[in-house]
Amino acid sequence: MSKQFKPKILTFLCNWCAYAAADSAGVSRLQYPPTTRVIRTMCSARVDPVFVVKGLKSGFDSVFVGG
Amino acid sequence: MEIVEQLLDISGIGRNRMQLRWVSSAEGPLFADYITQFSDQTKELGPFDLKKFMLPLAAVERTLMSSRIRWLIGITRELTDFENVYHEKLEEEDYKRLLQQATEEEYHKAMIVEVLREGPLSVKEMAEKIRLPVYTISLRLNELERHGQAGLSGYDGGTPKFIGLAA
Amino acid sequence: MPDMKDEDIRIGVFICHCGSNIAGYLDMEELSEYAEKLPHVTFVQRNLYSCSEAGISEIKKGIMEHDLNRVIVASCTPRTHEPLFRSSCAEAGLNPYLFEMVNIRDQCSWVHMKEREDGTDKAKDQIRMGVAKAALLEPQEPIMSDVQIRALVIGGGISGMTAALSLANRGYEVVLVEKEKNLGGMLNQIYKLAPTMTDASALAEEKIRAVTGHPNITLFTGSKVNAAQGFIGKYQIDIETESGIKKIDFGVILIATGASVYTPEGLYGYDGQRIITQLEMERLLKKGLDQGIKNIVMIQCVGSRNEDRPYCSRICCQTAVKNAMLIKNQIPEAKISILYRDMQMYGVENEELFRDSKAKGIRYINYDSVQPPEVESDKVRVYHALLGREMLLPADLVVLSTPLIAHEDAVEISQLLRISIDENGFFLEGHVKLRPLDFATDGIFLCGSAHYPANIREAVAQGLGAASRASIPLSQGSVVVEPIISVLANEDACIACGLCVALCPYGALEIQKTEKGEKVHVIDVACKGCGCCAAACPQKALDITHFRDRQIFAVIEAGGAEAQ
Repeated sequence: MSKQFKPKILTFLCNWCAYAAADSAGVSRLQYPPTTRVIRTMCSARVDPVFVVKGLKSGFDSVFVGG
Repeated sequence: MEIVEQLLDISGIGRNRMQLRWVSSAEGPLFADYITQFSDQTKELGPFDLKKFMLPLAAVERTLMSSRIRWLIGITRELTDFENVYHEKLEEEDYKRLLQQATEEEYHKAMIVEVLREGPLSVKEMAEKIRLPVYTISLRLNELERHGQAGLSGYDGGTPKFIGLAA
Repeated sequence: MPDMKDEDIRIGVFICHCGSNIAGYLDMEELSEYAEKLPHVTFVQRNLYSCSEAGISEIKKGIMEHDLNRVIVASCTPRTHEPLFRSSCAEAGLNPYLFEMVNIRDQCSWVHMKEREDGTDKAKDQIRMGVAKAALLEPQEPIMSDVQIRALVIGGGISGMTAALSLANRGYEVVLVEKEKNLGGMLNQIYKLAPTMTDASALAEEKIRAVTGHPNITLFTGSKVNAAQGFIGKYQIDIETESGIKKIDFGVILIATGASVYTPEGLYGYDGQRIITQLEMERLLKKGLDQGIKNIVMIQCVGSRNEDRPYCSRICCQTAVKNAMLIKNQIPEAKISILYRDMQMYGVENEELFRDSKAKGIRYINYDSVQPPEVESDKVRVYHALLGREMLLPADLVVLSTPLIAHEDAVEISQLLRISIDENGFFLEGHVKLRPLDFATDGIFLCGSAHYPANIREAVAQGLGAASRASIPLSQGSVVVEPIISVLANEDACIACGLCVALCPYGALEIQKTEKGEKVHVIDVACKGCGCCAAACPQKALDITHFRDRQIFAVIEAGGAEAQ
């Protein structure tokens, strides 16, 4: 591999909890790897297990669900 | 989500491709930590080989869409927290075992349906492709036949061949 | 817009520099060039500050001049700015739900400050995902619903009476339901109130008189809520009264059911005579103490801060100190020792009371929960951790400070109204800081010890606060609900299995008879759009507007694809 592997993580975040936490990480300028691709949902309960499979099928390397 | 983890394991994809974490709105640092850890974990696993896992992934999706599994996921609390009309309550451990077994069965059925999409196969051929004992394949195939999801397509010499049928 | 053809979709993408907050860390030129190439994107503009007046007018101008029917702003977080941009779209004649926001600041430029290239790639992906979502957006209309201008207050203790009076004084009709025959709750059993040492009975009588005589308050004592259904604006409640069941509709509900005192059966030889609780102490003080009592030992944290009840009941320390002072008033020569683990005397008045009590000679002895005191026939044995030796304290009376515990009715009420209780059985607020007097379920509010052990001052403050919160929907007369809700997208698929009805945390789903047989029905105003019904539906019949399966699938696919 000539290019270093940069993982792409499909990330579901609950609007009220994890999405807010991610915002507050930003406000505090906490640095973390630019690997996530975020989809906001109104609640992590919206995340149908099938979404996880769809993510892997669509080219993501892994899936993170933050509730 | 436990079921998804289990399915990722049986399918060989591995549960470490997924992570479920609870973060409250005040826990920015925790969120950053989780993402850093999970990025490292994903990096270690390497790129997800979609081509290699096309078939198992399709089977995982089929399993998750199966009404049996969706029912069992949805009804967990009803079954473990409350009594049913016969005043029976399932112990959480018993329920977990039941769920695991159901997931495995449904996954195997889904695999059979997926491999049959490519054309008629004998039980032995299916067993080789899916890497399961012939006996397991027979059991699951039988269930699929009963539900009209698979059927006999003909004979190759003396060997019966099966095809998938649209449900 | 199901009949809108693919080629009719015209997306405008506005990329915000946020001064240098975004532009300083991402390649803005590359981003806008990239956005221009995305499907359906007809207009791309960069703004210094999209949320400024200039930025907003640029967005409106863009919508009108380029005939945009979808708008994306790539900037900060929708949690703070989505309402603003939505209303800008509305002002330009675009349905506000045809707007999508992409977060390239809080979750991109700010957290990837040293990775310009990868950060820009991430922003590109997020914009592409936003465009994919925008193309599939549908206009939504806000949902309005009338509010029944009447409040139900459950519980006639101090916080419930305070809340009821506060609402009634504002002119709203209030129904107060109390389980016991008399109003007053715990207040009736208390002698004097700290720090002013006024009579509790005086406060109770004053409140009870005001409540009973108020023209806007209907009082049902010896009554309880029996059945409940509905949602904010229209809760249909069955109240079991002494004269039969009353069916009444309410716009809002206040939970003020209070708490109970833990009875320390089997602890420290509790007998209710010589070894009593603080509440029993209050009764003795009310009657006047027997002057023969000379030595009193109080033990704190009896039955609390242990494995069964890990929480601190918060008010027992103040109660013990207050009662010790009151004993001193009645028997000045009494020797009082308070055996404590940690003293919880928060607030200026409590601090002062604590100090005064030490000046009056009340003795404080710290004990370790590993080596708790032992109560004997006429003395208490305690290991003094500081002195490193055991002490024997003579005791004519032993007073145990037991915690307030969740009311036995809390579970039933939580199930009736579908509101949460915490691990200790107390009611759980919607958000610890942002919605401390609300439940997660709209239109239901919380005050007093039903929530957590509260002293009288706190119970009153919370009663006033909850009444104030409850008066918002009452004064507006209608509620507007965000139209991000569950919909029965595929009626034929629904088999009325009821799984979603059982799962819905808000009681927003019901099974109805229709021409096609029994089907699930979504009660728009009650639905919060959390989506657990859609995720669980075995038939995939339910979907969530604005977060539809196909919208999310499209975003996942767009996100997974490689950036060109």
